[in-house]
Amino acid sequence: MEDEKIVGLAINQEFARWAHRETYPPDTFKKQEALDDTLVLDVSHGSFAGLFASSILSEMGAEVIRIEPPGGDLARKMSPYGMMIKDSGLAYLAEARNKFHVTLDLTKEEGRKIFSRFSAKAAIIIETFKPGYLDGLGIGYRQLSAKNPGLIYCAIHSYGQFGKDAENSANQPGYDIVDQARGVIMSITGEPDLDTKISPKYKRPLKHGNWMGWYAGGAWAAFSLLTAMFHRRKTGKGQFIDCAPPEGLLSIANYAMQYFHMSGEQMPRAGNYDYAVFPYTYVKCKDGYTFISGFTDPNWAALCEIMNRPDLKEQFPTIKERLTPQNQPVIQHEIETFTEKYTADEIQDMVYQYSKREDKKGTVVTGRLESPRDVLQREHWQERKTFIKWKDPYYGELLIQNSSFKAMTKTPGRVKWICRPIGADNEFIYQKYLGMGQSRLKELKQEGVM
Amino acid sequence: MSDNTTYRDFLNEKFDIGQLFDKPEPLAGVRVLEVCYVVLGPAACDYLAEFGAEVIKFEGQKGDQMRFVTPYAYFWKNMSPGLEIENHNKYWVGMHLGHPQGKELFLELVKKSDVVVDNLTPGRMAEWGLSYRELSQINPGIIQLHVSGYGSWGPWTGRTSYDAVAQSMGALSPITGFEDRGPIKSGVWIADWITGLMCAVAVMAALNYRERTGEGQFIDYMQVENVIRWLDWTWLYTFKTGENRKRSGNRDLAVCPSDLFECSDGWVALAAFSEEEFRGLCGIMDRLDLYEKYADPLERLQDENARKILEAISQWTATKKVAEVEEFANRQGFAASRVLTAADAYHSEHYRQRGAIQEYEDPVYGTMAQECYPPRMSETPSRVKWSSRPLGFDNRYVFQKILGLSLEKIKQLEFEKVIFQWNPDIPSQCPPPDWDGKSGLKMP
Repeated sequence: MEDEKIVGLAINQEFARWAHRETYPPDTFKKQEALDDTLVLDVSHGSFAGLFASSILSEMGAEVIRIEPPGGDLARKMSPYGMMIKDSGLAYLAEARNKFHVTLDLTKEEGRKIFSRFSAKAAIIIETFKPGYLDGLGIGYRQLSAKNPGLIYCAIHSYGQFGKDAENSANQPGYDIVDQARGVIMSITGEPDLDTKISPKYKRPLKHGNWMGWYAGGAWAAFSLLTAMFHRRKTGKGQFIDCAPPEGLLSIANYAMQYFHMSGEQMPRAGNYDYAVFPYTYVKCKDGYTFISGFTDPNWAALCEIMNRPDLKEQFPTIKERLTPQNQPVIQHEIETFTEKYTADEIQDMVYQYSKREDKKGTVVTGRLESPRDVLQREHWQERKTFIKWKDPYYGELLIQNSSFKAMTKTPGRVKWICRPIGADNEFIYQKYLGMGQSRLKELKQEGVM
Repeated sequence: MSDNTTYRDFLNEKFDIGQLFDKPEPLAGVRVLEVCYVVLGPAACDYLAEFGAEVIKFEGQKGDQMRFVTPYAYFWKNMSPGLEIENHNKYWVGMHLGHPQGKELFLELVKKSDVVVDNLTPGRMAEWGLSYRELSQINPGIIQLHVSGYGSWGPWTGRTSYDAVAQSMGALSPITGFEDRGPIKSGVWIADWITGLMCAVAVMAALNYRERTGEGQFIDYMQVENVIRWLDWTWLYTFKTGENRKRSGNRDLAVCPSDLFECSDGWVALAAFSEEEFRGLCGIMDRLDLYEKYADPLERLQDENARKILEAISQWTATKKVAEVEEFANRQGFAASRVLTAADAYHSEHYRQRGAIQEYEDPVYGTMAQECYPPRMSETPSRVKWSSRPLGFDNRYVFQKILGLSLEKIKQLEFEKVIFQWNPDIPSQCPPPDWDGKSGLKMP
């Protein structure tokens, strides 16, 4: 690769070259895997929290067995406008990586027996059923850990497994929209409450565009599973992990709770403003939107210089003025009269040129609002192998996001295959772990267990 | 087979919040050196700290910028709430690593540490002679994680990233917002928090590997790429159709129904995707005709059908109270919940019972009530022990306990400005105005 593509704008080019050598994408499969001693059963159902958790573990090398009901997981049908590629929707194809796919009907006695035997060998189980469902079937943590005390059992559900709301709402299934709604962040995301120019019909809570509740839940689950594995390696002990995705959002809701504790007040929805740091906002530009910041006094001075607006620096001299909610739409508008004359790239260039000036007052940061199509074309992401594009023998041409852990020097995360059809690995996995041959599987299939 | 009551009793005992401090911490004995500022890096270390790691945080003379990032320029007992939220259970050292003596002290600590995390400009640690090459020579088991917007190499390495840049460059904001309106930024610094979480995941994977092999490693993590990773079906959709993913407000384009609906007294989030759940919903709405027509979830996802179904539900919820819809959901087996605000969560009995919100008495700031990172672990639960601290608050404890420096030596280092404490002229670096001069000090 050309050197300039490696060193970019690095302050220490030699370090950039070293990092490139040590995390060189084509070397990934020459290296070890952090978790290739770990067997995971992912029996999650209709939940991308469970699927994302097991994706992370699988990227790190864990052997993940997806156990689906004979008709397939409901999550396979969660796809924009119902778009399907063979038996799977687009979302499932993004989070089926590296997993072996088997089927098993847990509502049948024989299915439960097999699950119970299988569980005795596993380090980790992930499930997303209604609280107590598997326990009621006799295959929950209590029963399985009796046979396998080292078992780490992670149950993911919007309300969690215990507590007042879990008791009242144990009959509800878990969904991303509810995870987001109960995670507080949604209440402060959306069009700005205090902007009088915005129609009241838009002044309502807003979810993140992606499945932020499910993905946060999955990442927290993976984090705690690795933490529990670390404990298990030292003590041999397993445990029960109760992961409620809303708590994953609640606990990262900035200072919403702290501010309430300290002042007794709640924050309004700020839209693209920010009442703790401003300017730090999206502004209109010639070809869309771009981010721009200049908050601390030096950085604000720098922004005013770039815009050639010394008057603004006079008018809003300290962070107090810039954090006053009524002033923010005014400042926003003034910045936009400047930015609307230029494209995002032109603004980026002006900011970069300014950053090289000896007499610069501070740092301004900008960055375009990239559409998904823009992102897919950027050289940086191509060089870093942010996406993988493959022709799958069953699903055809696919492009999905690669592991984000691929730049670990000793144990890079990786994707080995994208997805497997429903039940495609029954033969291999049941033979490998439970010694069940073709004729036994045939019987089970006839009984509807697989 | 067992009934739900005994399952509940079992859980209530397993997760008894009263026994929190009687249980082990999973990361006890793991020492982390935090060379981080703002939100992302400190959050990554905070997650480790609440699960028991000993995190030593280094701040330069000006202090972490979050000492100045606070809603409406509001400070509480001199503390910036913006600083508090990603800094718990940590040990606070004021020291400049670029100073030759500071570097020397830091390397001494590296010998006795497990993890080093930085979110400085990529290459800054190398400029100081503190890159993985140097650290691994004195401690082969060391795990070093660097996180930045675009990583340590590539055409865009060295470009500055903030949370909102990562949200925009990673295409999260462009897919967030109402159908006929502009893009909207998250109400919180979401790209910082979730990237910090994935950094903690990477560190945990490396710690597991080290437990197996004794080997450490270097981890290069990218914030913008992390946002990209979290956008579910966005990329495959664009690849397959050539189209950008459209903003759709609260409507889920891949799950129907799943949306936010207006009731007579507020908002309710509602979802019912499986046939059974959808039947439960249609039954209580007295609209079994909808179920008969759209039992198949894939049928419901067709744009035209989805709009009809969502419209029917919103007509129904308009005549109901939020609590009624929640109750219907409990009974009929679909999902529905109000949108919780900070005050709702703060007063929630449920979150307190679970230890999701913990109250504790901080020796510097008094009674605090705040979130404790999930999930709830039965044997090794997370916990909050203390809050953020003034600049350099734990200098003496760290250098005396870990490196055995004498009080005289520490004073000399202060005099030479190698290490430092809060500047009395900068209130947000300082203890509360009425601080007694010793509360909270680990070695008063």
